[in-house]
Amino acid sequence: MNHEHTVAEIRDLRVRVDGRLIVDGVNLRVPPGRVTALIGASGSGKTTTGLALLGEYPAGAEVTGEVRVEGGGPVGYVPQHPAAALNPARRVSALLTDIARARVRHLPVRRRRLAARERVLEAMSEAQLPSAAELLRRYPHQLSGGQQQRVVLAQALLLGARVVVADEPTTGQDALTKSRIVEQLTAVRARGIAVVLLSHDLDVVRALADEVVVLRAGRVVESGPAQRLLLAPQHAWTRELLSVEPELPLAEAPTTEQPVLRIRALTARHRDGSRAATVVLRTPELDLFPGQSLAVVGRSGSGKTTLARCVAGLHRDHDGEVLLDGAPLPRSLRDRDRGQLAAVQYVFQDAHAAFDEHRPVVHQVARTAVRLRGTDEDTALREALTTLAGLGLPEELARRHPGRLSGGELQRAALARALLARPRVLVCDEITSGLDPVTRRGILDVLTGLVRGRDGLSLVLITHDLDTASLAHRIAVLDAGELVEQGPAPQILTTPAHPVTASLVARTRAGGTTA
Amino acid sequence: MSRLRTGRFALGVTVVAVPLLLALLGPVFAGGPGPRATSFTLGGGHWLGTDFVGRDVWRQVLHGGRPVVLTALAATALAYLVALPVGLVSALTRHRRLEDLLMRPLDVLLAVPSLLLILLAATVFEPDAVGLALLVALAQVPDAARLVRAAAAEAAARPAVEALRMQGETWWRIAVGYVGRSMLRTLAADAGTRLTGVLYLVATAAFLGVGVAPDAADWAVMVDRNRTGLFVQPWAVVVPAVLIVALTTGTNLLFDAALDKGGRRTGKEARP
Repeated sequence: MNHEHTVAEIRDLRVRVDGRLIVDGVNLRVPPGRVTALIGASGSGKTTTGLALLGEYPAGAEVTGEVRVEGGGPVGYVPQHPAAALNPARRVSALLTDIARARVRHLPVRRRRLAARERVLEAMSEAQLPSAAELLRRYPHQLSGGQQQRVVLAQALLLGARVVVADEPTTGQDALTKSRIVEQLTAVRARGIAVVLLSHDLDVVRALADEVVVLRAGRVVESGPAQRLLLAPQHAWTRELLSVEPELPLAEAPTTEQPVLRIRALTARHRDGSRAATVVLRTPELDLFPGQSLAVVGRSGSGKTTLARCVAGLHRDHDGEVLLDGAPLPRSLRDRDRGQLAAVQYVFQDAHAAFDEHRPVVHQVARTAVRLRGTDEDTALREALTTLAGLGLPEELARRHPGRLSGGELQRAALARALLARPRVLVCDEITSGLDPVTRRGILDVLTGLVRGRDGLSLVLITHDLDTASLAHRIAVLDAGELVEQGPAPQILTTPAHPVTASLVARTRAGGTTA
Repeated sequence: MSRLRTGRFALGVTVVAVPLLLALLGPVFAGGPGPRATSFTLGGGHWLGTDFVGRDVWRQVLHGGRPVVLTALAATALAYLVALPVGLVSALTRHRRLEDLLMRPLDVLLAVPSLLLILLAATVFEPDAVGLALLVALAQVPDAARLVRAAAAEAAARPAVEALRMQGETWWRIAVGYVGRSMLRTLAADAGTRLTGVLYLVATAAFLGVGVAPDAADWAVMVDRNRTGLFVQPWAVVVPAVLIVALTTGTNLLFDAALDKGGRRTGKEARP
């Protein structure tokens, strides 16, 4: 059994919640100094297995099996949303020193302070946090998402963890940040620490993993060395998971005369407590034609979500005009009439937060038809069920509460909710960024099908992912709030004119081919 | 998990039933006032002894529930009747002026200690029990409205509210159907503690002779007035005090059990 050294091991783990098996007989061996990647679609039991290493289970879970960590030592955890793991009221220095202090107890009192400080700085440099002195004085909310993640990692290193579990570290991050995270985890591995990577981002798995374990519905379908498994998968499910994102070129862009939506001289501001307004977006001119899709790409913080929210009437603080069929749309949603509301619909990034957790999904979806098209309750319910079924959500799932659906399923429901308004413009804000490849492909298929199938439905796709953007007819690139480039998708992707676009394209290529 | 919930429900009902039944049915069974005995005695035909003016404690307990429970419940309900719409409107409006108009006057009221407010009003109006309930409610409104506004503002900032607006939902459905529903747990917790606070505000007012006669058969007044004899005759304090505690604890337990749907969910569980 012990032919290879392992720092952590899971044997025949079964986790059952409310009678449903989430993890069904998983075996996992974590060797030191290697990256073990757990991949699988959402709901496959990745997180539950990863958290089992920490001794954490979902509430009310029945657990059988054995989890062993060498020396019973601490296991580090880098969560998907690092902000939630950092006390917002304390500075970084306090967050790190608290842990360091516990590790220097054996020293005489007067040397402890200095030793703790040394350990903190050491851990920060190992977690690739430069300019430590300045960062130490900041509060978690003053750090970027990537920096927060590295602070959490530094905490894990301070603890002396021999195993670090990284849960979807790259989800929702742009290409540049992703490559930094890869570097940082490589550095951790080089120290002989075992990394358990839970991810559905195959680029990162390709770049990092030494061992890959493929999970499906709580079972291990295949596992082995990354090289072998990624290049020559044995199991059909692995092949499906790994198959390259399909090229789904949309139907030829209809050449139409009148744009359905025009944006003119848009300047959007954000106001914070100090009343000082910061301009976050300048878009002199942007048109959307009927039956076309437009992808708005840019790094995080480039103002692409603000642009979408201005169009949807969710961000009031802007100058300039958003014209629907030549008529200006009121800035605020509350001033738009039924017709205008129905014409421009918006799908939110976080599907879980966008649903009322107390009501069954189908009833919430049906309300769109009732409110915006004036149908009666029964017709609306039937329409909702048909639309949901058409998007791949059977009645049994649709009648559940949002908490009992997965992210992908809820995002389909959110699309159905918007579609019941029979919109002319559908704004999708990063709706696939939190999803695994299989689910993402499913949603993108649905979207392309929509643009093809419906007369004159136009799509605005907000995304940081050029792969997703390549499905659109046109691409607009935002950087630091400025619209730097726009044009037909093939042109932007093959001959980018602006340096920002060029670097985004280059990053995506590099990410896709790293083996 | 559901057995646990039923258990808590049953416990809550039991704990709250005793003071409620005593308050509602007590006066029916109390009978006429017997002859007065010596203050603070035990035994002598008095089941729970005698109080500070020599009355039978058990009889006082039977009579004393109704005013306390009714005044406190009415005052709490009244406070929320005003605080809920004010808090909801100011959390959901986008006009800062309206928010200021609704909340700032209440902030001024908040600066005045509630007892002082009640005493001040009492010197002008000489309130009866109804008046006292109104005054106590008034004293509670600023506090409750701020709490409602804070809880509602959190819920109103969620994407779910924007999604509802996108669907063209009415203000009523958004404010009551979603925001109100989301803050129910916070409100229930607050209602429990507020009821306790109100009970003792009513008692203190009574002690100072506002709204209730100082020797009235009233649990809160009994606790206050019989304190002096606590070591001679504890029952006159302990019984009404325990009843008040049972009333508030039971209410809290009931709310908790009613709002706890199939165990708590953790963030981890929701994720894959």
